[in-house]
Amino acid sequence: MNKMPNSLQLLSGNHAVSWAARLCKPDVAPLYPITPQTPILEKITEFHAAGAMKTELLTPESEHSAMSACISASLTGARVFTATSSQGLLLMHELLHYAVGARTAIVMFNVNRTPASPWGFWPDQLDSLAQRDTGWIQLYSETPQESLDTVIQSFVLSEKLNLPCMINHDAFYVSHSVEPVDVPDQGLVDGFLPPFAPEHMLDTNVGSSFGAPIDQATWNRSRKEMAAANDLVCDEITKIGREWGALTGRSYEPLEKYRCDDAEVVVVTMGSMCGTAREAIDDLRNQGIQAGLLKVRLFRPLPKQALQDALRGIPCAIVLDRNYSPGTGGILHQELKSVMYGQENAPKIHGLLAGVGGLNVSAENIRDWVKKYQKAKVEPESQWVE
Amino acid sequence: MEKMPSPLWTNSTSLERMTGTWRNALPYYKNLPSPCHGACPVDGEIAQWLLQVNKEDHFGAWITLVDNNPFPSIAGRICHHPCETSCNRTNLDETVGICSLERFVGDKALADGWAFAKPQEERPEKIAIIGGGPAGLSAAYQLRRRGFQVDLFEARPALGGLLRYGIPAYRLDKSILDQEIARIIDLGITTHLNAEVLDAKALKKLRENYDAVYLATGASKPKALPGLDYCADYVLDSAEFLAATNAGEKCELGEHLVVIGGGSAAMDVARTARRLGHRVSVLSLEPDELLPAQRAEVDEAKEEGIGFICSSMLKSVVAGDDGITLRCTKIDFKPGETRGAFSMSEVDGGTFDLTAHAIIPAIGQDADIDRWTGMLNAQGPVVATDAKWQTETDGIFAGGDLASMDRFVTQAIGMGKHAAVAIAGYVCPDQVVSQPDKGAEVPYKAINTAYHPKEQRNAQAHLMVDVRLQSFKEVQLPLPEAEAIKEAGRCFTCGTCTLCDNCFLYCPDVAIKKVDGGYTVDADYCKGCGLCVAECPTGSIAMQEES
Repeated sequence: MNKMPNSLQLLSGNHAVSWAARLCKPDVAPLYPITPQTPILEKITEFHAAGAMKTELLTPESEHSAMSACISASLTGARVFTATSSQGLLLMHELLHYAVGARTAIVMFNVNRTPASPWGFWPDQLDSLAQRDTGWIQLYSETPQESLDTVIQSFVLSEKLNLPCMINHDAFYVSHSVEPVDVPDQGLVDGFLPPFAPEHMLDTNVGSSFGAPIDQATWNRSRKEMAAANDLVCDEITKIGREWGALTGRSYEPLEKYRCDDAEVVVVTMGSMCGTAREAIDDLRNQGIQAGLLKVRLFRPLPKQALQDALRGIPCAIVLDRNYSPGTGGILHQELKSVMYGQENAPKIHGLLAGVGGLNVSAENIRDWVKKYQKAKVEPESQWVE
Repeated sequence: MEKMPSPLWTNSTSLERMTGTWRNALPYYKNLPSPCHGACPVDGEIAQWLLQVNKEDHFGAWITLVDNNPFPSIAGRICHHPCETSCNRTNLDETVGICSLERFVGDKALADGWAFAKPQEERPEKIAIIGGGPAGLSAAYQLRRRGFQVDLFEARPALGGLLRYGIPAYRLDKSILDQEIARIIDLGITTHLNAEVLDAKALKKLRENYDAVYLATGASKPKALPGLDYCADYVLDSAEFLAATNAGEKCELGEHLVVIGGGSAAMDVARTARRLGHRVSVLSLEPDELLPAQRAEVDEAKEEGIGFICSSMLKSVVAGDDGITLRCTKIDFKPGETRGAFSMSEVDGGTFDLTAHAIIPAIGQDADIDRWTGMLNAQGPVVATDAKWQTETDGIFAGGDLASMDRFVTQAIGMGKHAAVAIAGYVCPDQVVSQPDKGAEVPYKAINTAYHPKEQRNAQAHLMVDVRLQSFKEVQLPLPEAEAIKEAGRCFTCGTCTLCDNCFLYCPDVAIKKVDGGYTVDADYCKGCGLCVAECPTGSIAMQEES
């Protein structure tokens, strides 16, 4: 188990995340268990117990305290990792704002799960999408391999821009599904991820203090600086994803376009559903329908320009949202409409509430929806589909 | 373009941020009086000396005590301790045993021979004090320590008044009395014993020879019970009985005595008689629960086998060959608005007879004011005085039972002290001090009881009943030192800062500064959060709204 082979291992999505954490050598990892995130924590504690991780593991009394510890640790210049899910993420909410405002470089993994009530454990992205205004970078992963690779890239990104990053994958579909995962060599990761050396840090020898009360204008300036950092994210992650590709053969972009070049209709979605959609697109192509898939990997900051470029000139886009925001509908659907507003040659955009609450969405479902909605009149509201 | 520094980080200290501007209320150290201090007839600074006992500074405690009362050993035995009744700690568990601690300090002083400091200066003014009881001695002490020349006139052969001739030895050992009086006289007071000031004429003459006179001749005239023949050989007044028995003289009264009355004097008579081998019954107008004596006295009397016939009135006495028959009736007793006032009605068919050998009425004593006719006027049953205890004759002051119906020993001591302060100001205008207004006291809710866990009172032990009845040994036993220190530690120290540093440590803005003997609030940084007030174990800090 503790060998570090530069070879394939059969790993669940969660264990792939644990491996990523191990490879990034965080100094501090405050963790609080919650289904379906718990295997991430368990594997990390196993690594730690075996001496393979030198991280300071903290087990506080709640996710709120875990995030508090993350913030403090990050401000002292420590590399910080944590993981949570659903209720735990929601309990952290207050501190998610603080973590961004403090310009920490925390990397957090979130396993997307339905928020209560009613009580459930099912894949649904509302928990993280509900944090979209906190200012955390948000990335959505399709597979265990992608989760591992994205955690490593996120440390590079976060520590460069001093913005915390939240990577998400779907409960069970990714978190507990096992696939062969290439676990990179420690030396490769060490070369890719430089040591965390922030410009400012809490240090009794420096005598620099942080977060003192400020006036209105200074708060305002702190937000403008945050906006400037956000503007850099899309280009930075593109660069980092390509560098990773050069090292491992697995390159990543903020958006992934699959068979979109001549597409008449494009399915737009995030997370595990992308895998199913890929299969549906192939089937549709075989049936002579010019379909494509636009996978949104970077959700925050929203890669506006890239989305506009990708969709311009395509007649029809069908957004599949595994989330439901009451009063609005599918969140990605709303975001996409907003991004394409006023654009020339914008597609007509259908929003489908597909798989909300973890319902299975099959390739057959997607094929049927594409055929139906490609020809249908566009409704402004997201549509419930099964 | 030059990069602006991060607004999140600063290399200067947070002192730059004057958080005091956020405030709308500022804490202040108020040192309010404790409820026990408010209730104390001698303004005894109780919280202060209890703190000193707890810190094992017994001498310091004694110095604090005797500033207001030269009789801590006596008061520690017989005070009616309104301090304990008002103690904030009663809301948590039990009162602090203040009286027993006062005795502890007082007895320690006697055992170790601590003496009062001599006056710092000798003054020429001469003061005459008439009456060597608690009020007169207290006034003499306070005047002498201020340097005045004091002549003390006492009608009887020894000083002490009620303390000597009224309080039995089982409550106050005479050696304690002698020592505490001697310590006062040693300050340089001239005493004149067997020197009764007979009448107004004699008083006038004294006034001419002294700069001021303090009159504290007590209440020596027994109240008469209507219809009782005081000349009969089966009647002996309580004051006479107590004076005789206190002097060790015998009274031939027969086996069964009926004591009439329900106050402290009645208990003293009954319990003294019990010790002399009599069978004793107490006949009182008041029902048991309204007896004016201290509850402990009643309880101890019952323990000693004294019978109580309450809510009852003597109607007449029939003398027989072997003793007397008391014709009594049950009554319905209703207390009045003021202390001592009451109304009553006889209960139909409530008559009953009681056989006995003698009756000792103990229904209280009146001041002899007739003696001063022509010099002093009466105000009801007492001599009229103003707020500074001066009578209507210039330069003559009065106090104690002669001038007040607050008939407690420590009230008399307090009156003596207050009169002394007034007399000092009268004869010597540069010594005028206004009596400090005690002001609002610290309420229980101001005490953070998290710092005061419940803890049982360290109570005094009492002599076994069979031992009590065979002697006049003191019933209440002293509190051992270790228990006294522990008991003093139960004090909340209401309103008196104990320098515990809680305010200093809890202040989130580090706005509390230590200064000589206390703390101060730095208004530049205090946000007015009130944590210091909440965390003060003694209620010594309060918030003050700012405009």
